[in-house]
Amino acid sequence: MSPFRATPAGYVATWEPVEREVLARVARDVAGLLSADSGLPDDATEAEVAFTGVARVPRDPAVQRLLPDAHREDADVAAEFRHLTQTDLAAGKVARLHRFAETVDPVEEPVTDAGDGDQVLVGRDAAQDFAAALTDVRLVLGERLGLDDDADVERLHHEVLSGFGPDDADTDADTDADAADGDTGSDELDPEQRVYWGGVFVAAGFAQESLMDELLAELRARRAGQ
Amino acid sequence: MTSGATQEDTRTEAVSRLADPWVTIVWNDPVNLMSYVSYVFESYFGYPEAKARRLMLQVHHEGRAVVSTGPKERMEVDVQAMHGFGLWATMQQSDAPAAAGEGA
Repeated sequence: MSPFRATPAGYVATWEPVEREVLARVARDVAGLLSADSGLPDDATEAEVAFTGVARVPRDPAVQRLLPDAHREDADVAAEFRHLTQTDLAAGKVARLHRFAETVDPVEEPVTDAGDGDQVLVGRDAAQDFAAALTDVRLVLGERLGLDDDADVERLHHEVLSGFGPDDADTDADTDADAADGDTGSDELDPEQRVYWGGVFVAAGFAQESLMDELLAELRARRAGQ
Repeated sequence: MTSGATQEDTRTEAVSRLADPWVTIVWNDPVNLMSYVSYVFESYFGYPEAKARRLMLQVHHEGRAVVSTGPKERMEVDVQAMHGFGLWATMQQSDAPAAAGEGA
């Protein structure tokens, strides 16, 4: 995975096929989890759910993190906010996660042309949503990995970067199915799963960090020129 | 940031706090990148780079920061936007304990 760089066409990075496939799959998984746990109906368009969705407090702690209470003490304020906003927020996140997945690993036209490289091109108009989708993916993975403070994140980075190469991702078939089995807390991740999902978390963070460097530089240059 | 700018900034926030009884608070989390949080504060709120950085560092080091002040309806819009970005945000009346420290 190479860092994102600004080009005239947008932001471009090179991702290995396995990186594209895994990050697209986890984004689609997060979208499915979010839909189910926030009460969105299946196969609904963004516009439809805004009117028909029924907001309820998510059960999964990772989804709670994506749709947190808006007030810490006042349950009525939190409930009212959830009623007013949750379907829109959840539907927006779900749509964004699917666009992210389509960008990195299109369903209709999987990248097979070796001559084309494995370039991920993010248009300028799409970049903020792309970064936000990476955030939602990282938040869910972070919850599954039990990352409660900065020290946890540092430890995970150390684990992932010391001695576990990308080849270990080849074992994903089993660990993936196990981890996708549902509401397993971080305590239930075995070491192999932890390294696998930790690697995905670190890769997503690397991609986002390089994209944010470019987005911030262009935002500041634009504002300075006003 | 010069001390003159800091005083003016603080005074402005103190005045608006009297008039607007609600605040939006962003809470620290270990996952969000500092650059992403800065980007959100600069792009969504339109804060200058220095103010966005100060608030981002306040979230990081103190665990939370008041990022906007205004009527409740306006804070609902800001909290919804923060949740959209994946930041952990809440709102509350500005005289509640956790709202202290604004402009620190």
